[in-house]
Amino acid sequence: MTGPLVGQAFITAVETYAEASGAGGGPAALAQGLSPLDGIVVPTLGAYALIATFLLPFVAIRLIATERESGAGKLLAQTRAGLPARLAAKAAVLLLGWLAAWLPGLLALLLWRFYGGHLDFGETANVFLGHLLHALVTIGIAVAAAAVCRSSASAAIVTLGFTVGAWALDFIAAGREGVIARLAPFTPEAALRTFEHGELRLAVLTILILASLAGFAFAGLWLDPFRPAPSRLARSLALVLLAVGCAALAASWRSGWDLAEDRRSSFPRADEALLRTIRQPVRVTAYLSPEDPRRTDLEINVLAKLRRVLPDFAVTYRTQSRTGLFETSEHYGEVWYAVGKRRDQLRSTIEPVVLSKIYELAGTAPPPAGADRSYPGYPLAAPPRGAALLFYLVWPLAAGLAFVLFRGRWRSSCGNLV
Amino acid sequence: MTEPLLAVRELAKSYGPRRALDAVSFTVRPGEVLGLIGPNGAGKTTLFECLAGVLPADAGEVRGPGGRPIPPAARNEAMFYVPDGIAPWPDQPVCRVLLFFRDLWGVPAERLSAVVDALKLRALLGSAVRSLSKGERKRFLIALGLLSPQPLLLLDEPFDGLDLRQTREATLILRDEAARGRTLFLSIHQLGDARRACDRFVLLAGGRVVGEGTLPRLREHAGITEGGMEEVFLALT
Repeated sequence: MTGPLVGQAFITAVETYAEASGAGGGPAALAQGLSPLDGIVVPTLGAYALIATFLLPFVAIRLIATERESGAGKLLAQTRAGLPARLAAKAAVLLLGWLAAWLPGLLALLLWRFYGGHLDFGETANVFLGHLLHALVTIGIAVAAAAVCRSSASAAIVTLGFTVGAWALDFIAAGREGVIARLAPFTPEAALRTFEHGELRLAVLTILILASLAGFAFAGLWLDPFRPAPSRLARSLALVLLAVGCAALAASWRSGWDLAEDRRSSFPRADEALLRTIRQPVRVTAYLSPEDPRRTDLEINVLAKLRRVLPDFAVTYRTQSRTGLFETSEHYGEVWYAVGKRRDQLRSTIEPVVLSKIYELAGTAPPPAGADRSYPGYPLAAPPRGAALLFYLVWPLAAGLAFVLFRGRWRSSCGNLV
Repeated sequence: MTEPLLAVRELAKSYGPRRALDAVSFTVRPGEVLGLIGPNGAGKTTLFECLAGVLPADAGEVRGPGGRPIPPAARNEAMFYVPDGIAPWPDQPVCRVLLFFRDLWGVPAERLSAVVDALKLRALLGSAVRSLSKGERKRFLIALGLLSPQPLLLLDEPFDGLDLRQTREATLILRDEAARGRTLFLSIHQLGDARRACDRFVLLAGGRVVGEGTLPRLREHAGITEGGMEEVFLALT
């Protein structure tokens, strides 16, 4: 199933990219705006987010629930293979299966290279890492649900409740503040977006790994036949508290890396070097409501980048409403910057304007124009030759044939072994 | 008197307000075939699961040779329990499951072959576990039990689903296993089968042990001078 899904996403992406690059005689977009990360890698591998949400959980649940429902779990519990070893083996199998499912995605990117397309290793590998962690979290949730619930169907409902619930949380959090807005960046979908944006954030990476490990630890507690129910409940509660505590700690970490070739989440290198030398506390107070597009611009273009480089940096939003349409405060629209004891305000959300204000308040001269190589962009007006044949016909046939051959060989080999 | 292989003391288990096992105590002697007899709902399966450690007991203890306590997590060293009515790894062919356990326990190839032949499983090796009939599945489960290396084997309803001929053959196989020095503890609801297969009996009713011993001993305990297992069973349960 992965082949046709990934293939469809890839074919659509290549066609759209070709159109933007001027295929068919239309006007080409500015070359700098044509990034294979946004145009090819993210949409092609996006199919894996769907598979991880709607297919992978059932595979993980089956792996756990079948043993319980068939009675095999009782037999295994009496063998020398301990529960941690058995869970680790299942995790390894699921992980290997997931890596095998990447084959169509890798084939698609190989085709893209064959067409003459450009790929940057760092940003592409980062998107794969995002999908790997997304899958691991889904597997962790599914395995925990399968261990707790008495039937596969209940486990599937619980898992989908989590994954679809996380989607809903991500959606609801848009334009809101408070706890929901703080949680939202760590839902699997939002976390995946940071990888797709070319960022590798330590906080996101740590929380996704923690969530996955917590899922397996939870499953270990509930699959342990020797543990009485009260002990199981107490340890489950302790595990949840520990995981939440660690995640809360990790959420405050600001370290991260911008792996996008166009460095979209970073200031020019000279500016970053200078900003890192500002030791005074930098505080920003923005009078912008959550749904104000200027706030989104300010966050993406300026504040997210400042968070990564300034040693002592904090942002406060002061608003009365969500939309800002009926704000009566005379300060609405202002953004106040304070560096040490000096402060001033701006209404602009443009990166160079904000940076020069910060340098002015810090009493520092702006750096000379950097030697950063500007992103050239990679237009390519190539049709997706051979992709439909490969993904819609060759791949399903090859997968089916491999299944039949492997299964037949497996069964026929048994008779000679006994 | 020989030292018991296993001494069970005051084992208790409740499901909510329902008491499934109530201070169950008995002993298992090395090399014997011990039968667990009781009406439906007596707590036979619960007793086996608590003994094997796959279900946590509320109270009680299990001691091994020398009076050494065996905690639930270490019971897999002392015994192996084969539940009734399971179809482990239903999509796998019988041979894969047998080979899995052979590898897991390091069973010699000739032993596996002997078990497969004794239980007439050779024709079923390529069949998926889910496709086996009730009797075939029971023979397959007995095979899994016979491959296990633990000194005590617990089989829940080993003859359920077998016809008369198969029951007699299985009885002989289990008696052979005991003759090889292994101890067997069988939960059986057919009293005739129990009498043929077992040396001693533990009678369970309402979660309590109402009798333990050989048939003459149980007869004496029941206060009857004549009759077989049926009469003893009716008198004690």
